[in-house]
Amino acid sequence: MSIPGAKDSIDGPTFEQILEMDDDEDEREFSKSLVYDFFTQAETTFVKMDTNLEKKDLKTLSELGHFLKGSSATLGLTKVKDSCEKIQHYGQKKDAEGSNDITEEEGLKLLRTTIEQAKEEFYDVEKVLKKFYHDES
Amino acid sequence: MFQHLRSQAFGLVISDSTLVIRQVSDSYVAVSGESRRERVVGLHAYDFFDQQNAPIPLLAARKAFEAAIETRRPHQSQHIDGQVIWSIRTVPIFSYDSLRYIQMEYQDITEEHQRKLELEERLDANETFRILVETVKDYAIFMLDPKGKVATWNAGAQFFKGYTRDEIVGKHFSNFYGQEDRDSGKPDRELLDALRDGRVEDEGWRYRKDGSRFWANVVITPIYRRDTLLGYSKVTRDLSERRQAEAGLIAAYEEASKLKSDFLANMSHEIRTPMHGMLSALTLLLDTTLDPEQLELGGVIQQSGELLLQVINDILDYSKLASGSFTVSNNIINFADVIQSVFKIHQKCCPPHLSLEAHLDPQLPKAAEGDSLRYRQILQNLISNATKFTEEGYVRLNATLQCEDEQFYTILIEVIDTGIGVPALGSSTLFTPFTQLDNSATKRHQGTGLGLSICKSLAELMGGNIGFHSNPDEQGSVFWFTAKLKKVHQAKHIEILNDNLDALNLPSTTPPFEEIKLAAINKRILLAEDNPINQKVMLKILAGLGFNSIDLAINGQEAVTMSTKDPPPYHVILMDINMPVIDGVAATIMIRDAGIRAPIIAMTANALKGHAESYISKGMTAYVPKPVDRNLLVKVLLSCLRQDQLS
Repeated sequence: MSIPGAKDSIDGPTFEQILEMDDDEDEREFSKSLVYDFFTQAETTFVKMDTNLEKKDLKTLSELGHFLKGSSATLGLTKVKDSCEKIQHYGQKKDAEGSNDITEEEGLKLLRTTIEQAKEEFYDVEKVLKKFYHDES
Repeated sequence: MFQHLRSQAFGLVISDSTLVIRQVSDSYVAVSGESRRERVVGLHAYDFFDQQNAPIPLLAARKAFEAAIETRRPHQSQHIDGQVIWSIRTVPIFSYDSLRYIQMEYQDITEEHQRKLELEERLDANETFRILVETVKDYAIFMLDPKGKVATWNAGAQFFKGYTRDEIVGKHFSNFYGQEDRDSGKPDRELLDALRDGRVEDEGWRYRKDGSRFWANVVITPIYRRDTLLGYSKVTRDLSERRQAEAGLIAAYEEASKLKSDFLANMSHEIRTPMHGMLSALTLLLDTTLDPEQLELGGVIQQSGELLLQVINDILDYSKLASGSFTVSNNIINFADVIQSVFKIHQKCCPPHLSLEAHLDPQLPKAAEGDSLRYRQILQNLISNATKFTEEGYVRLNATLQCEDEQFYTILIEVIDTGIGVPALGSSTLFTPFTQLDNSATKRHQGTGLGLSICKSLAELMGGNIGFHSNPDEQGSVFWFTAKLKKVHQAKHIEILNDNLDALNLPSTTPPFEEIKLAAINKRILLAEDNPINQKVMLKILAGLGFNSIDLAINGQEAVTMSTKDPPPYHVILMDINMPVIDGVAATIMIRDAGIRAPIIAMTANALKGHAESYISKGMTAYVPKPVDRNLLVKVLLSCLRQDQLS
């Protein structure tokens, strides 16, 4: 099934696999709890990212990027996942693909913009998902 | 008296005081062919010499007679008549102070004269050579007697070696050699070699009187006179300066070449970073709302940017290869996998009339140790060239095991196409950097002309080779390369992995859920995963597959503690790679060190090819990329559980 308005921000097959785990297609208890857990996890992670960005702690930023990448990948939230992967690489002072070294200064600059981008992507997909679960509060 | 004179060996004419000829010698008669002496005798001498067949010209005869008469003394002169040289002697004979007779002798002295000239010349030459040799300062030239003792000495020798003539003549020439050479008998050996071969040449250290040494070129030649050995000539040149200059040149060249490569590498790197930035920004820009024209222009920028990036990457690779700072890493190359993934890329953009075929030798090993990424790069390059220059027909890949020994496989890959081929002239420059063959083709087909030269260096780094020949069956080319790769000892694991990766590429069919549900009965499973959301999903999936005994570890340390008990508590361990405290790879190593043989399945979002192989080499059994696909997980779990039962 397709998620209205998801475009390329959600990977269909991956998210469908999650939906298939729901025992009741109307309630969607399992997937909904998972998605809402993710909302919380993302919010918390973004706060931590901001704090560590202030502290210029690249290593922790990389770990946070990896952490959120794992869960967004599981849900098929492609855009957020991709940005998180970049955060993971920039935090390791590597370029977006993780193949070449960049300076700490470049890393911080890129991290600042990429974290903001990840947040926006997250808020976008959050809206789509909330709509999907008929929760537009 | 006249009778006696007639037997003279040279031409002899006797005239009386009025110059009337009174007698001629037999030799004159013989030489002139004059058969009758009577015809000559009684003639006036001048008339005689005026004759056409006169032995010497009148002018010369006249001068000779006149000189003798005038001076009243014997007169000797030479007359050159064309090629012939005559010696003419006239002797006036007096009786009581009055001239009675004049005797004239003439003789052909051409040969004698020639000999004399030659002798003079030779004497001159010898002298010249002697002076030359003695004064030459750039070469030490001297003679040794047959026993090797110094016999002569020149200025060069004195200059080079520091001995004066008196100091060295009579001493053995081994004085010029180092102790080591002397101990090994080198000087005498050189004389023997010279005798045997007619000449011996050697480069090495020679020593001066003051003990300092110089790098010398020495030629020793034996000298014979009528088969008797007179001694040896010895010519020594000081090569120190040349040697120094050569070393300097080589160093300068290497330095310049390295600087160039370093510069290229640095520049490419510096260009690449902003390029990445530009391209990323462009990707973002293309995602915004653009009108069709803007979108088209954006597309052009993107394509050109990507091409430029490829060029820069090529140059970077090339300069790293050229400066020798390029290293190939050692992970696992899975041939089927690499070939499949390269084919996949090309299938998408391959023209409709072109078929891509791969033939894998059944002998081909599943995997070997090597740089998977770079191996793929060569393959990718050859296939992409083949598809670029082939519009219809086929591009065929043959992978064969060329040979193997205890440690290594040599794998041959051939890429055969039915494309435009390579003109005979071009085949020699195919692998030369920055050359592209066909200019018109260059316009149609972009590139740096570095690809094949990079492939060549890469193949050589992998202990192999690369080459080209024409397609033997029809129009087209065959590019081949070999690589010598170390054998791996985890073939069993690789097979499982291979199956898993096959599963990735196959369209999902009805999963064997029934089988896994049966297999799951009474199986204990450990899930090591730090992300709560992933934990939740995995637990749900596993429960859905019929596993009802699942434990959870939230970091690597916990996973190690929980799984290393006696008896081993788990049938399967699912292991996330990036985890706090210790990561999945380190945890796996510790678990294996503790002797636990249970299958460990790696899970990671670092879904790069090549990573899987490195996990396997660390002791993991199989690998599942994240986000976890349930069908694939089932397949991997089944094969692990089966494997487990077998062992």
